[in-house]
Amino acid sequence: MQVVRVDEVRGLALCAHEDGSRETVETALVDPVAPGDTLLVHAGTALAHLEHAA
Amino acid sequence: MKFVDEFRDAELGRAVSMEILSLVEPGRHYKLMEVCGGHTHSIYKYGIDDLLPANVELVHGPGCPVCVIPMGRVDDGIAVAHHPGVIFTCFGDMMRVPGSDGSLLDAKAAGADIRMVYSPLDALRIAKQNPDREVVFFAIGFETTAPSTALTLKRARMEHVGNFSVMCSHVTIVPPLKALLESPDLRLDGFIGPGHVSTVVGARPFEFIPADYGKPVVIAGFEPLDILQAIEMILRQLAGGRCEVENQYKRVVPWEGNLRALEVMADVFELRPHFEWRGLGFISHSGLKLSERYADLDAEVRFSVPGVRVADPKACQCGEVLKGVIKPWECKVFGTACTPERPIGTCMVSSEGACAAYYNFGRFAREREVV
Repeated sequence: MQVVRVDEVRGLALCAHEDGSRETVETALVDPVAPGDTLLVHAGTALAHLEHAA
Repeated sequence: MKFVDEFRDAELGRAVSMEILSLVEPGRHYKLMEVCGGHTHSIYKYGIDDLLPANVELVHGPGCPVCVIPMGRVDDGIAVAHHPGVIFTCFGDMMRVPGSDGSLLDAKAAGADIRMVYSPLDALRIAKQNPDREVVFFAIGFETTAPSTALTLKRARMEHVGNFSVMCSHVTIVPPLKALLESPDLRLDGFIGPGHVSTVVGARPFEFIPADYGKPVVIAGFEPLDILQAIEMILRQLAGGRCEVENQYKRVVPWEGNLRALEVMADVFELRPHFEWRGLGFISHSGLKLSERYADLDAEVRFSVPGVRVADPKACQCGEVLKGVIKPWECKVFGTACTPERPIGTCMVSSEGACAAYYNFGRFAREREVV
């Protein structure tokens, strides 16, 4: 999913699916996110930054 | 689309398929288990097994989170959902899993307030919107989903949401793999390791498979080229007499996993002494429950839960399917009495279930075209 907006205080990000639908996502488990980042999201939680892959 | 198109390239797929063909010994039968239900789904969606030589057999493992939930656990969920004032929330697939007297969807039709959510965070939101009701989230899934539940519990605590609790049915992937490797029913040559579970736990927990059982493991992504390449890597290990854990899914899976997720899980959960798996029976230290620190948010402490053990329906052979002992089409009720519309067994419920994958992508019988 792609990050649209970030709420740093609450540790949440508004993210968009490819079809345009949006979802609020927990970001506590990944490095700081910014609009435009691509995240691997599972059950409403970002598990990995795709760009930061090992 | 980035991270997708490059892993669906037909030309490359054919090249990897030819590479696989060059690695297999004629006359030897290879049995490779894909642990994760997401892989099973991709394999049949993209017809990957049609690109493999006839002597490379893919066996489907126990990694579909919905499929492994036993009937008694569904009954427990329904009992909690019927408590006065409760809003019971769960993922959509879970609503259709049959218990001994119907599913959560049947219980909803009978009047219980059961709602589908996409994440535990949605359930917490419902709790905040309904302060006079008790909101319970039925948490299922492997280590991929457990961090999400853990973070939501931390958020509930931080935001003082007292009317939220979790009925925890999270499970861990390593104990059932050990049980399968100890099983005399099944002889496997290698494993396609679970991609998204490994995002959280890393590759290290699978090192016991080559070390103790001498089988290769390749952690793989979910696109067709990911899976084909993982098969090629396993066969290359076998051809070279090697067995080790390799990571094909490096763009997502760090070797050490997601340390923050592991830390959050260690704080919120603890291992149950044993947990019942559909078809596999009780497996020691394979299920998670809320730790003492979060016991006040444990639905099983807050509500009375019957905890009755219910035997699987006799006609259903989900157990054998989950262990990879039979193919879905070998089950007596596959595609007749048991369909995705009216499932008898869990493997037909979820899109990650092997039976649903076979049914939805037209694998009704043994015959397949050999490349």
